[in-house]
Amino acid sequence: MALIDQTATEITQKIKQGELSAVDVLDSALERIRAVDGRPGALDDGIKSLEDEKKVHAFISLTEVRARKQAEEIDRRLQSGIDPGPLAGVPVTIKDIFCVKDTLSTAGSRILANFTAPYTATSAARLEEAGAVLLGKVNLDEFTFGSSSESSAFQPSPRNPWNTAYVPGGSSGGSTASVAANEVPLSLGTDTGGSIRQPAAFCGVVGLKPTYGRVSRYGLIAFGSSLDCPGPIARNVEDAALMLHVIAGPDPKDSTAFERVVPDYQEALKKDISGMRIGLSPDYFNITFPDPKTGELARQEIQEDVKKAVYYAAEVLAGLGAEIVEDVPMPNTAHGIPTYFVISRVEAASNLHRFDGVKYGYRTQKEGRDLNEMYRLSRAEGFGLQPKLRILMGMYVSAAQYSEQYYQRALRVRSLIRGDFEAIFDTHGSYRLDALLTPTTPTTAFKMDAVYGDSLLMQYTDQLTVSANHAGIPGISIPAGLDASGLPIGIQFLAADFREDIILQASYAFEQATKDEAWRKVRPQVLQ
Amino acid sequence: MTEYEVVIGLETHIQLNTKTKIFCGCKADSWKAPPNSNICPVCSGLPGVLPVLNKAVVEKGAILAAAMHADIRLISYFDRKNYFYPDLPKGYQITQYDQALGSGGYFEIPMPEGYVRRVRIHKLHLEEDAGKTKNDQGRRLIDFNRCGVPLVEMVTEPDLRSADEAAQYLIRLRQLLRWLGVSEADMEKGHLRCDANVSIRVKGSKKLNTKTEIKNVNSIDAVRNAIASEIERQIKEVNAGRQVQAWTLDWDDETGKMWMMRSKETEADYRYFREPDLLPLQLDEAWVKDLIADLPELPLERRERFVREYGLPIYDADILTGDLPLSTYYESAVQGSPRDPKTVSNWIINDVLRILKDLGISADDLNLTPQYLAAIIKLIDENKINTATGKGLLMKVQETEKAPAQIVEAEGLGLVSDVAAIRAAIQAVIAENPGEVKSFRDGKETLLGWFLGQVMRKTGGKADPKLTRQILVELLRG
Amino acid sequence: MSEELITPEMFEHLVDLAAIALDPSQSDYLRGELNKQLNAINELIAIPIDESIPLAAHGVPYAQADAAPLREDCWEACENPEEILVQVPVSEDGYIVVPDIPHSDLE
Repeated sequence: MALIDQTATEITQKIKQGELSAVDVLDSALERIRAVDGRPGALDDGIKSLEDEKKVHAFISLTEVRARKQAEEIDRRLQSGIDPGPLAGVPVTIKDIFCVKDTLSTAGSRILANFTAPYTATSAARLEEAGAVLLGKVNLDEFTFGSSSESSAFQPSPRNPWNTAYVPGGSSGGSTASVAANEVPLSLGTDTGGSIRQPAAFCGVVGLKPTYGRVSRYGLIAFGSSLDCPGPIARNVEDAALMLHVIAGPDPKDSTAFERVVPDYQEALKKDISGMRIGLSPDYFNITFPDPKTGELARQEIQEDVKKAVYYAAEVLAGLGAEIVEDVPMPNTAHGIPTYFVISRVEAASNLHRFDGVKYGYRTQKEGRDLNEMYRLSRAEGFGLQPKLRILMGMYVSAAQYSEQYYQRALRVRSLIRGDFEAIFDTHGSYRLDALLTPTTPTTAFKMDAVYGDSLLMQYTDQLTVSANHAGIPGISIPAGLDASGLPIGIQFLAADFREDIILQASYAFEQATKDEAWRKVRPQVLQ
Repeated sequence: MTEYEVVIGLETHIQLNTKTKIFCGCKADSWKAPPNSNICPVCSGLPGVLPVLNKAVVEKGAILAAAMHADIRLISYFDRKNYFYPDLPKGYQITQYDQALGSGGYFEIPMPEGYVRRVRIHKLHLEEDAGKTKNDQGRRLIDFNRCGVPLVEMVTEPDLRSADEAAQYLIRLRQLLRWLGVSEADMEKGHLRCDANVSIRVKGSKKLNTKTEIKNVNSIDAVRNAIASEIERQIKEVNAGRQVQAWTLDWDDETGKMWMMRSKETEADYRYFREPDLLPLQLDEAWVKDLIADLPELPLERRERFVREYGLPIYDADILTGDLPLSTYYESAVQGSPRDPKTVSNWIINDVLRILKDLGISADDLNLTPQYLAAIIKLIDENKINTATGKGLLMKVQETEKAPAQIVEAEGLGLVSDVAAIRAAIQAVIAENPGEVKSFRDGKETLLGWFLGQVMRKTGGKADPKLTRQILVELLRG
Repeated sequence: MSEELITPEMFEHLVDLAAIALDPSQSDYLRGELNKQLNAINELIAIPIDESIPLAAHGVPYAQADAAPLREDCWEACENPEEILVQVPVSEDGYIVVPDIPHSDLE
């Protein structure tokens, strides 16, 4: 077992005890990356070689020099008896949607391919202050628009370490792939419609979307301002709790970050779950979507082994003393995607206005006649198809004559979706749940190029995760088995506002109860 | 000949005089700074940044709203106004669209002709300023220093009825803004910017016709001239049987010409929606009540009171309430002076104001304090010095910061009331000017003034004028 | 198949609002995708909504105590404005340079 195969908790403990040096851990990570990652994503060409198809390609920028300086500094502090922090010496990757000072911060887009951030996002800065070693920026769907990471302008895009013919999910695909391939124990991702949880499920790792406002968004290149949540991605629940504690908390630079104390998540983890009320909802065992041929609403059951995994988890939890409550209605779940289409597009279109070639990023080289030409060409050449689609849809549904019909309406439906959760978590209601247990995604990972290009079907993979973004509540995806083809299955816990402690608790209990199961011994393809 | 009535509404942008910008910690005032030096990631619209609202902006905005008798919303919202322009780094402006800080209210403008125009306020909202652009050889040069400076936008109902009224509105608004301490309101520095909406209608009609918008009128004279010019143009158009078009116009005060701007701007779809990066602005009801109660006496209120309490003519009261420090100065001086308020007023209007202007300072910066002014007036009243000496003392006190009585003593400026000394001086003048004495005795009594002047000169200006006159007459008539 | 809600004319208008230059094949693809997505979005229209349901700009409600305090009016100089300027594609003497704006007509 290589140094980098250990958990973050183990690494930092050993480093503080003097058993390991931060530089050694860094070198172990670099060795692993050299072995499995292949070439990083680049603007140059997307021509894939056979070699490429076997690699993970999590990275856009590997910041080795910067990381080595950080690791050496950690070791120096330890020598002088200074505690470098709770994540001392842990290598981490950062989804390239965060600005990190003096690194290329690209958002996976040509329009920012040459942008070096002059400041660091609060969540990334907190990791650094806690002693983490920032190894580099990992790949993602362009501006986080997508669920497979394939839309990045930096190709080759990340591949699923379990089977590199498959997508890692998205948009935090580079993050989950880098963790699943044991390149790093932790990664900082973002979740706007499921972008941490879905790829975490596809890659067999732990991905947590905190309550909206629990973690500062300062420095996160914005997509859906009322939906975006930075969050931890880890190989196990304990590490996720550790990282969440470091990044969470109020920030004077973010007016939407809640002024609330951050509880001790690690303490909450180990509590006994007997008596915990965990619900199952039939509305989460199928997806509803418009038939591409008729446009009529169709229902489709989720993948069979995914469903089985959820029921199995319920059994395990029941065995630990939890009360499983079935048939919990979540009637507005089906409205999650269309509502998301509207709200996120309006916000995204506006957030992307600033990319105009004027003051940073890409500006067209073509000689335009005037300023309008410069805008139009810079944005046409700089943005990929997915951002263009989002922007145009955003323009449409927020245009004066349609705003009432679409945007205002969507904001009301959001209240309805929120209402579903308030009802089930209400301590005086009919269900009084502590958590809801659901599948994370309707299917396991799909093949590269399979769904990409059909934006509709791609979006519907988010149907089971997106409601939590609308409602703002926290959610976690944890590995719960492998499907018939050996691809990871994820299950999801959802809880009320600021109850990350509950979802961590439930996850930890399941994880520990199943730690010796056979499927946990199987390693991803790239590590075999 | 049809008689027309003019209908004018004004939109003013007021730069608040907070220390920092509305959503970040950069300075609000960077008038002299080199381009793009007063910027940070937030106000230059870098990817990933977020706005954080400045407390003082809310306070000053609320004070202005209260002074306008507007309804202050306890919960107001920020919205995004989306459009592309190089001086707008985020590609949207954070403003308040439909649930603004203040709504309704009014502003009363006394006109020199003697009537008062009451202008209703439609709304008052907070927003951020954009940067500056300038032309240079077919390119645009952009400076973000001003991005994010806090503005209050105030929109009136179309209640103004002439170019002069519009000019007075700005004059009184500027006075009020400085009085409240919420803005320097220096139009040359762009602290107070104005757009005018102008239309005409047949006199007596209640209908509102198509209006044109005149943008960027940035001095009081420019407002007056631009509006007057536009009224003339509209009347010509209508008389010629044509329709007034809803143009957006640009006024060039130097050439006295009106240019038409691209109407594209008026067609823009700004796609307003709630700013998700800011929480609703919630004001505490008790805080708002206190704010309203703590408002200073406003300029026009004080002017009325000066007329009432001090019996001043409105002309005097208007000047004395020109700015807050001057009016406070006046009242302090009145309280310390034995003479009537009108006398004090005269001294300030005739003399002190000139000193303020020459030195370029405000009344609260004077070394010549109201107490010192009152003392000077008292010295004259008690016949310890004459008026001329008194006037001279003003600058002496200002320069030396010493009390008037001290200076009088030190320089021996006291009135000469010694009868013998005056007699001697008069006798000397009579002896030196036999011709004038003969003319006087022959009937040219107007020469008395001349003789008085001569005696004053002989005594270094210090002779008691009353006494001198008395003795002069006695000796001349002899 | 639902009607095509986004006509070529409407699409052009959106492209204009978005300040993006598109070639015909891109336009066709994007317009097609938008119309498909609109079918999904139009589900929203069928949901029974009444005015009493509040607009939720954020999912999580913010109580007064949760809201961050407003910022104090104190100057915080940016440490490195030069690092912001160095990102500008075309600059001169500290100014950001862009092509001219199409100029206003004369009356």
